[in-house]
Amino acid sequence: MQNSTPKDIGSINFGLMEPEEYREMSATKIITADTYDDDGFPIDMGLMDPRLGVIDPGLECKTCGKHSGSCNGHFGHIELAAPVIHVGFTKLIRRLLRGTCRECSRLLLTEDERGEFYDQIDDSRKLGRDLNDVTKAAIRQARKKDRCPHCGEIQYDIDHEKPTTYYEVQQVLASEYSQRIAGAMQGDEEAGIERTTPDELAEKTEIDIGRVNEILSGSFRPREGQRKAIEKALDIDLTEEDTNKLMPSDIRDWFEAIPDEDMEVLGINPERSRPEWMILTVLPVPPVTARPSITLDNGQRSEDDLTHKLVDIIRINQRFMENREAGAPQLIIEDLWELLQYHVTTFMDNEISGTPPARHRSGRPLKTLSQRLKGKEGRFRGSLSGKRVNFSARTVISPDPTLSLNEVGVPDRVASEMTQTMNVTERNVDEARRYVSNGPEAHPGANYVRRPDGRRLKVTEKNCEQLAEKVDAGWEVNRHLVDGDIVIFNRQPSLHRMSIMAHEVVVMPYKTFRLNTVVCPPYNADFDGDEMNMHALQNEEARAEARVLMRVQEQILSPRFGENIIGAIQDHISGMYLLTHDNPRFNETQALDLLRATRIDELPEPSGVDDEGEPFWTGYDVFSELLPDDLNLEFTGTVGDDVVIENGQLLEGTVAEDEVGEFGGEIVDTITKVYGNTRARIFVNEVSTLAMRAIMHFGFSIGIDDETIPEEAQARIDETIEDADDRVEELIEAYERGELESLPGRTVDETLEMKIMQTLSRARDNAGNIADEHFDDDNPAVVMAESGARGSMLNLTQMAGAVGQQAVRGERINRGYEDRTLSHYKPNDLSAEAHGFVENSYTSGLTPREFFFHAMGGREGLVDTAVRTSKSGYLQRRLINALSELETQYDGTVRDTSDTIVQFEFGEDGTSPVKVSSGDDNEIDVEQIADQVLDSEFASEEERAEFLGTKAEPTNLSEYADDRLVEGTEVTSDD
Amino acid sequence: MVDVSQHELVPEHTVLEEDVLEEVLSEYDIDRTDLPKIKRNDSALPDEAAVGDVVKIVRNSRTTDQAVVYRLVVE
Repeated sequence: MQNSTPKDIGSINFGLMEPEEYREMSATKIITADTYDDDGFPIDMGLMDPRLGVIDPGLECKTCGKHSGSCNGHFGHIELAAPVIHVGFTKLIRRLLRGTCRECSRLLLTEDERGEFYDQIDDSRKLGRDLNDVTKAAIRQARKKDRCPHCGEIQYDIDHEKPTTYYEVQQVLASEYSQRIAGAMQGDEEAGIERTTPDELAEKTEIDIGRVNEILSGSFRPREGQRKAIEKALDIDLTEEDTNKLMPSDIRDWFEAIPDEDMEVLGINPERSRPEWMILTVLPVPPVTARPSITLDNGQRSEDDLTHKLVDIIRINQRFMENREAGAPQLIIEDLWELLQYHVTTFMDNEISGTPPARHRSGRPLKTLSQRLKGKEGRFRGSLSGKRVNFSARTVISPDPTLSLNEVGVPDRVASEMTQTMNVTERNVDEARRYVSNGPEAHPGANYVRRPDGRRLKVTEKNCEQLAEKVDAGWEVNRHLVDGDIVIFNRQPSLHRMSIMAHEVVVMPYKTFRLNTVVCPPYNADFDGDEMNMHALQNEEARAEARVLMRVQEQILSPRFGENIIGAIQDHISGMYLLTHDNPRFNETQALDLLRATRIDELPEPSGVDDEGEPFWTGYDVFSELLPDDLNLEFTGTVGDDVVIENGQLLEGTVAEDEVGEFGGEIVDTITKVYGNTRARIFVNEVSTLAMRAIMHFGFSIGIDDETIPEEAQARIDETIEDADDRVEELIEAYERGELESLPGRTVDETLEMKIMQTLSRARDNAGNIADEHFDDDNPAVVMAESGARGSMLNLTQMAGAVGQQAVRGERINRGYEDRTLSHYKPNDLSAEAHGFVENSYTSGLTPREFFFHAMGGREGLVDTAVRTSKSGYLQRRLINALSELETQYDGTVRDTSDTIVQFEFGEDGTSPVKVSSGDDNEIDVEQIADQVLDSEFASEEERAEFLGTKAEPTNLSEYADDRLVEGTEVTSDD
Repeated sequence: MVDVSQHELVPEHTVLEEDVLEEVLSEYDIDRTDLPKIKRNDSALPDEAAVGDVVKIVRNSRTTDQAVVYRLVVE
């Protein structure tokens, strides 16, 4: 059983179950509502009948003979005293009642109409459309018929009272018909209607005068023809609505007579599902395994909600039968019938609108069948799509710049809990024994072993030595995770494929997972308390797949925009900027120190000799050591200067965000595409370590003094702001005088607002510029903004110049009191100050009023992000559900599961964004590519042909294995 | 009235001949109902296109010069 191969599901058919089928699959009929007798044994033919399956371990199932665990349980059944409606089908029942004849049960469509809809349904099926649209249209058309086209019977409207009652609505003679006639015969002088005498009435309606008198006295009820004649003669309505309740048994009889041919038009397969089966006469009783009872601490049994519900059903069922046999009045029978319907309804769905939910004694609503399946925690989303898994770990993450980006630091206590299975052979038997002899507590140890006979033994401190001696080829050893094992690492929300990547394990002390900081962008992780999940892979295929496809270095290029998503971040960028911006000089010790964490252990020729005769190396020299020897690049860099790299030497420019950064750093991107992922991984690792060394060499810190400006600058800023205030005043005055001209398409009010906003934003920018002039180029905030490491010039402006206008919904702050924002201002004050202009900087400090306005603007930002994340999360879910079944086939087309084509060529061009050189400014040089191909074709005649690929892709194996392969560009023989 | 089908942003729609269609269908090994659909009342369709026809649409593409798509005309 355990090792049986998985079966292919050929097809699944959905349909209704026939009552006879319920009886056939039933292990026993259930007749008593009691569960256990006084001795605690289950009662025969009760709800806990032993034939329904076993839950207690050790007992044998009376039906199949298996034990608990292997016996899935067996259904029983209850014979219902009267048919009841299945709540799941109320809509379909209503449709069928409306669409078929009350007398002959045939579909209320002529043969031609039926044929038409039949064809339509065929078409819909072929085109993969929703069949419901056609069947709905068919019913709509059938409802229009007043009389059955087959037997001529008059059809009435069907009213549906939720959830399970149906009425026929008939027009019948009103009880007070004689009064209505008499009233109409009186006439109405105001309306100019004359009196009618009985004789005149008799004449008009051609009814015998004696009958008319009888009708007027109320002793004779006019027939339908007579009624219509009177109605016409007197222009009145003599009818009232009469509702006639349809009992489930009536509906069942009605449906039984629907011919098979009529049902196919309604999208029902009559062989599989007869409509009368929607009215239950037999209720299946779920096996006890689906509703196990729990024994509480005090020995009391507590039953499952479903069992409670079944008890109710059986009780009412019995009372119903007893009453009927005793010949109880119809009224009581109907009440009991309704009660039975209620219990069966809530047994299936306890959240029906219009019905009070069935409750537990404590008042908690019962969790019945539908509630088990529905929703996020239901069987589908909660238990089937969202299973909990073994071999996983979760803990807080923290940074470790000494790790490679491919690695993850795993706490030793995690490593010795999560295991990998070793199949012991003669070659690794010594290794396996070593693991086992270490026991479960020492780190590279083992937790379990499996003998060749399949028996699993726990490795303990006591038995580990003996067990280790017994381990031999053919055994399995569950050993601890060790350095170099591959694991899957994930941070939620998993929004793109880079949220789940494979890492190589490095076992470390302490309790957190450690990551290299350059993998923060793909995971969107930081270290303010984020937790991440790790999964240990359990078979060789999974490990191989993870290593080849999922390792971090294979994910450097993002399929979203085709450029690298992994690269230097934050301090790395500041560090690279400091190292290359002014191209500083380093002596031998310093240069070697910068490169000490890289593969480089010898310096190149020095750039020159300084005044003291000591050789020196420049920042360019140091950085260039990391580049591939034959790299050539030229582009405009972050700082605005040209970056030139020739033959792997940086000749010009500053290395910062656009060069080595996370989202599309040019150098990282090019290296990944030209030299492969392994080389890019090495480059990113080395750039980040070099940058850390560089930033430590120069020293980098920021404090409040870095944002303070000299007094004279402050005075100039104050002046600019005062100036702006004056101009705003002028604008307001012009507005009040009515001289302000409106901009095209705007009102005067809007124009004023716009102009004020413009003036003030210019004032802030000016303040920022003044502040800026007083910052040196080596100011840390400037360095960070310039290099793109963190922050922008706007942040700097707000810190040193002025914070500027606060806005809510893109406008100046206008809310608060009547005609003013705060009670500190006069009503209708339009000035900058009264509407949230903050003229102070963060360093100088905000006034209380400014602070309040600032909080208003800040609040909006917080609300915005909160709303955006929830909205986009739901959007994401819907998008993924819609797209999840699409798959690119081997012929290049994208199809869904029913083989309908969605795209004829993946993405119209059949290429992966990752494999394409992106960007508008670098067109693909087809000629050059063709030349290359021709060249290699031509050279293939020569001997070295087979090795021509001088830039052969490095292997995709372990990090430890491929370093040496990348070293030289020539491919070296493997052995 | 503006004839949308003449607008420069509307790609060329042509009704496919039966024999060409057969080739297309066999190339992708599909029935015509497996093709993407287009409504008969779509203003980009040529007048002669009838329900059940297959139109060939040639689009300009940013990455490939031209992308060809086939669609089945439905009601």
